[in-house]
This record gives sequence, structure tokens and C-alpha cells, in this order.
Amino acid sequence: MKVLAIFAAASLTGVLPSIDRAPKFQFAGSDQLAFQITQGAHADVFAAASPKYPEQLYSQGLCSKPAAFATNTVVLIMPSANPAHIRSVYDLKGHGIKLVIGAKGVPIGDYTRKLLAKLRLSSALKNVVSEEDDVKLVVAKVALGEADAGFVYRTDVKSVGNRVLRIAVPAAGQPTVRYELCIPTTSQHSKLAAAFVREVLSNRGRTALRTAGFGLP
Amino acid sequence: MRLLFGAAAAVALTFLALPVVAIFLRVSPTTLVHELSDPVARDALVVSLRTSALAQALVVGLGTPTAYLLATRRFRGRTVLLTLVELPLVLPPAVAGIGLLAAFGRTGLLSTSIPFTQLAVVLAIAFVSAPFFVRTAVASFEGLDPTLIAAARTLGAGPWRVFARVALPLAASGLGAGLALSFARGLGEFGATIMFAGSLQRVTQTLSLAIYAEFARNFDVALAMGALLVAFSFILLLVVKWLSFGWTSPFRSAPSSSA
Amino acid sequence: MAELRLDVAVSLRTFELRVALDVHAETVAVVGPSGAGKSTLLRAIAGLVPARGRVEVDGRDWSALATERRSVGFVFQDYALFPHLSVRGNVAFGGPPEDLLERLGIAQLADAHPRDLSGGERQRVALARALARKPEVLLLDEPLAALDAHTRDMTRVELRATLRELGLPTIVVTHDFVDAAALADRVGVLVDGALVQVGRADELISAPVSAFVARFAGGNVLHGHAHRADTLTSVELDDRNVIVSTDDAQGEVAAVVYPWDVTLARAMPSDSAQNHVQAEVTSVVPVANRVRVTVGAVTAEITAESAQRLQIREGDLLVASWKATATRLVAL
Repeated sequence: MKVLAIFAAASLTGVLPSIDRAPKFQFAGSDQLAFQITQGAHADVFAAASPKYPEQLYSQGLCSKPAAFATNTVVLIMPSANPAHIRSVYDLKGHGIKLVIGAKGVPIGDYTRKLLAKLRLSSALKNVVSEEDDVKLVVAKVALGEADAGFVYRTDVKSVGNRVLRIAVPAAGQPTVRYELCIPTTSQHSKLAAAFVREVLSNRGRTALRTAGFGLP
Repeated sequence: MRLLFGAAAAVALTFLALPVVAIFLRVSPTTLVHELSDPVARDALVVSLRTSALAQALVVGLGTPTAYLLATRRFRGRTVLLTLVELPLVLPPAVAGIGLLAAFGRTGLLSTSIPFTQLAVVLAIAFVSAPFFVRTAVASFEGLDPTLIAAARTLGAGPWRVFARVALPLAASGLGAGLALSFARGLGEFGATIMFAGSLQRVTQTLSLAIYAEFARNFDVALAMGALLVAFSFILLLVVKWLSFGWTSPFRSAPSSSA
Repeated sequence: MAELRLDVAVSLRTFELRVALDVHAETVAVVGPSGAGKSTLLRAIAGLVPARGRVEVDGRDWSALATERRSVGFVFQDYALFPHLSVRGNVAFGGPPEDLLERLGIAQLADAHPRDLSGGERQRVALARALARKPEVLLLDEPLAALDAHTRDMTRVELRATLRELGLPTIVVTHDFVDAAALADRVGVLVDGALVQVGRADELISAPVSAFVARFAGGNVLHGHAHRADTLTSVELDDRNVIVSTDDAQGEVAAVVYPWDVTLARAMPSDSAQNHVQAEVTSVVPVANRVRVTVGAVTAEITAESAQRLQIREGDLLVASWKATATRLVAL
């Protein structure tokens, strides 16, 4: 029996299995997954939270031409008690705030830095107390109440529901978050993999993504 | 039978040695030095050494009296306490991380502001490595000849003098071995640290965390830090052997233990 | 004058140690088989094991004092020298070392470590250390047991002189009656936690209260049945031989005869010795300048010259003879 191995961004943890529960999934930071694929890991589909890594693999001849399948937006979350009394992203410059973001190279980390730069808020980086290796770790630190705020994807808020507050990022700062997937050349089940990709891009897949809060390209 | 066991041993030893050898084959000593001058590696080394030193000071400072009491007193619940001390030894690091958050987290039992600070790294390291020290220390104190303690007492030495002048010096090499083990375990600490202290360059990012953070981004730097940790650990284990058995060349046959 | 008064009890696994003893400025040896509670007695005096009763020194009660508050000098069986300290360091642990190092002839070893010392040297260091705190009571646990035969003879003499000179209430524990007799003014025999007899060594030899004491003092113990007749008591031994004794007894008895009272001959002699037992030689063991010869149930200790003259070999048939006056009858 052939079982597909799907390497997917951590932010896709909830949604992909709802489209197809058959494959085995590995969820992690997109950068780490891309690195594993360059090291020869057997992945049949690579679904990343940014175009950067699929395009890189494609240019190295390590995967098929990437296809965009979802979009997302970055939001700021706080523990529901909101201990630092944050009302907007501009409050992040304040003194002594514990801000958690993604590490450099991790898509959410790169988006966050871009966003802060656009809003001329880079000085808020002095308040960063931890740089996490994927977005789920950022969510966890905030949901536990250890951090005062963190930048995550809109879709991540669902899983922690009432334990966090969410505020939108001003449109001027919002980066374009685009998800792309491709089929690594090392895949031994490329036909099945292509079928999985079609399913994600199908109406059913799009509905599932929309239900989970993703945008569509 | 000899052939079969020999073959098994060859496979096992090759398997154990290969990843270590591979690290050093991949980085030449010059690149190693060069890559270690990367700011991420340099900062991680400083963080690791600082937090490890503080954590081990804590472990030795509090662990030695604890081990002495556990080794010399017989009381109800002693076995339970001994087991409690050893528990972090078998706990998954993730559980240690959760536990530390539940105890010292902002919303935890003591609700402190320790998470994300260097103190959090120190506590995480101390928590996971203390059992290595305390266990060895208890065994060293228990191994002391009770007649020597009795002799000290008949010579007028009270409990404090017995501890400082007889028990401590006689157990010193065992304590040293325990410290080296504890130090080695602490340097490799990852799971509890990343959960409890997070990861931030120059503050909480230790060598282990930096290796994980860098391996996708800059494999060579990660490799160089890995090599450094291997070298550290190797030296620490040699120290353990030396303190436990007395010094013989590590490449000659070790004295057989009669335990 | 210093005095140690003991009335202590310690519960041991299979019996209770219970000793009442007064020790003046003298050396008392406590002898007995291993497991009789000898070491426990010393440890109880030093406060190293909990004991009931009283330990009194010059009228002061020590019972409630911790070990370190009791003024004892304790020499442990294997000397228990601190391996991490030099000879000087060991002695200095108890008190100022210089005089004692000089006095016990170990000044030249002051910087040596215990592992580099011979058995005799260790014994002297252990004694020096025990004396360094100027103890009121001295306790020695098998002080000679760890020594080889030659060193042991020399050390015994030295130790005897040192103990005399110190004049402290001293208890020496030993399993060896010879050591006890040589070191002590009085000897107490401890059996299953109780002192069965305390007295001078020659008293124990000449008037043992039991077969056990007699055997411990080195005597041959022969079981038999006594019949009183006129001035002599005749004893029919278990092996049917009949011997006579000047002691008064009736019924089951142990006849005690010491090896040095026994003479050996090839043929039945016609001298004043009145007891004769003919039997095969089962062992011939030279001890210093004497020879211990076992003839049937009796061991004789004769001079090397006599042994030479008789040309004794195992398997020879010999006659062991001793006087009726050298035959003590004691209760079993």
C-alpha cells in the first residue's frame, strides 16, 4: 500500500488532514522541511507557508513547478488576560513587553520582520524574548500566558480559541502570505502526489481551506 | 560464538562512531575555527558556558548537602525521595519543560517572570542535570567506609567537621565525576530549555538550541557547533573515567570494574 | 585516679549484650569468639551504637553524650587511618601531634601517607591519633589482629609498655587469649553478650568457671563422667580412658588439662604422672621454639628438643601423661 508523505508548513496542521486523511503528514517550519528535502528526505508533496522555499527547490531542480493554493494574513495575538494591555501593534514599542516571533528564515519570522519594517516598528524587536522555530511554538508561548504578544497567522487562532485575543495588523503593514506546493523530484509516487495536489486545488479543497480561515489565491 | 560477538561488536561500534567521525570529516579544523567565529556560534557558546557554569554551581551547592543527607540518614520516605531525585533522569525533556512552565511560568504555581530569561535556561539545565550529580554523589557518600566516619567522631569531630574534613575530601573524586556527567548532560539540554526559556540569540540560545535553529539555515555553522559539543562531551567523559578509576591512558585497557 | 564504670545493655540480633564492669587505671582485655559482642561493647562505650544503662567516667555519666563529646581514644580493628591525610594530619585530627609522633617513634614518618606504611607503623599511628585528644578512656579493638606473626610479637611488647605508662582505664578487645594475657591486667571472657568470668589470666587458667573459658585459655577439654573416691576423683572419658584428678566432682564434667602440663613418651612411663593416654599422633605443629603435638584428644606443647629426641611423626603411637593435680574438673 502506497502512503504519501506530505511535508507541510506548521500552519497547515489543522486543514490538510481534513482534505485527505490518508497520507502521513510532517508539520514543521517550512525552512526545515525544505532543508530535509535537499538532504534527500522522501517527500511526495511539499506545502510551504511562503513561495520562497518551493521556488528555491524548483530552481535547483528538486521539485516540480510550484502552484499557489492558499493565502493567509498575519495577526497579533495576546493571552486573553492581556497582561501588557496591548490594544494595537503600535503598543509593541512599549517598555518591558514580552514579544515572541518566528526565527529568521522561518516564514512567519520573515513576514513578521517585513511587517514591522513597513510599519516603522522595527524598534519593537528589542522586546523580542524568544525566536521560535515554527509558528505553532509562537502560538503556544502566547496561549500559555508566558509571552505578552506574538505574531502568528490568522488561521492559527482557531485552535486556541478563547485563550488568546487577536488584533488585526494595519493593512499598510500586512505582508502577502502565499502558500505554494510542489512535488519533489525524489517522490516515488508522483502520480498519487499529483492527485493529492489536484484535490487541494479542487473545489472541495478550496472549501476546506476557506472554512479553516485561509484565503484563496 | 567469538566470531558472532565480534561481528556484533564491530557493527555496534561503527554505528556509534560514524556520526561523530562524520561531523569531523565534514568540517576541517580550519573551517571549524572559521565557522565558530560566526556571531551566532560565538554568542551561543558564551550563553552555554555561562548558564552551564551557573547551573552546575547551583547543582553542586545544593546537591552536595542533599546527597549527604540522603546517603547518611535513614528515615521514612527516603526511597521515595531518592526516586524523586532521579525522576528527571528518565523524564522526557518536553515533560521537564511543561513542568517548569507549570511551576515557574507567569501563569504557573509560583507565577514568576523567569521564562525567557537566562535564569530560565539555568533552571532548565539544573533540573535535567542535577540527578546525574546527586545520584553519583549519594553513591560516593554511601561508599565511604563508616569506620572512618566513626573514627573522626571518636576524635572529637562533630557533624560539620566530619563532613568537611572526612566525608567531603574522601568523596571528592566521586563528586567530581558526578559534576562532569551533570555538566555534559546540561550542555546538551534542549527540550526543556526551548519550552521554558525560548530561544533568543545572546540571551537564551545555547549551543544546542543554536544548532537546531541554524541547521536549516547554515549547516556549516551548525556542524561546527556540533563538533565543539562533541569535543566538550568527550573531554568531560574522560574526566569522569579519570576520577572514577584513576588515570590510565584512555587508549589502553581500562581497569575492570568489580561492581 | 581515673575510673570507668560500665553497666550497659545493647540488643543484638540473636542475643542481648549486657556488661557490668569497673575498669580502674588498668588494662582489661575482653576476649571471646567472634560474634560475642566484643566490638559492640567498645562502640557502646564510645557512643557509636545506642545502648541502655550507664557509662560513667570518674562519676560523670556519659550516656547522654554524643560520641564526639566522649573523651575516648579509640583504636579501630583495621586502624581506620584517614587515607587522604598524612601521618601528621591523622594524628593532628585529634590534637597537637608533635610529642606523640616522637613518643611512639613515628616522627620520621610524619609526612608519609597511610598507604605507604607497614602494619606495625599503622598501629602506632592509630594509637598516636587516639591519644592526641588526651582521652580519659582508651579502647582498642583487636589492635594486633592485622599484623603478621613477627611484627605482632614485637608490637605486643611495645603496646604493653605504652599502656602501662599511660595508666588510663583501657579496654582491649581480642579473640586471642595470648594477646589478652600479655596486654592486660585482667581478662574478661565474653560469650553470647555476657561476661562469664573476669580475672587475672593465671586465675582464668587455674580456675576456669566453664569448659568454654578453659578451652579459650588454651586447655584441652575432655568430656567424661566423674566418680569421687577418697582423695581422688576418677573420670571415665567418652573414649573409655579413665583419668584421675585431685579436684572434687561428681557426674558429667569437663576435665581440663593444659598442653604445657602434658609430657609425651614412646612407652608407658613409670614416673609421678598419674594420667596416661595412649593414642595416635594426628598433628605436629611447630610454634616458635616449641612444638604442639596432638595425641588423640589431647594436645601437648613440648620443647623443640624433646620433639627432636622423640622423633615424632604423624601416625606414631605415643603416650601422653599428666599429673592428677594438673587435671581441673569444671562444669560443662
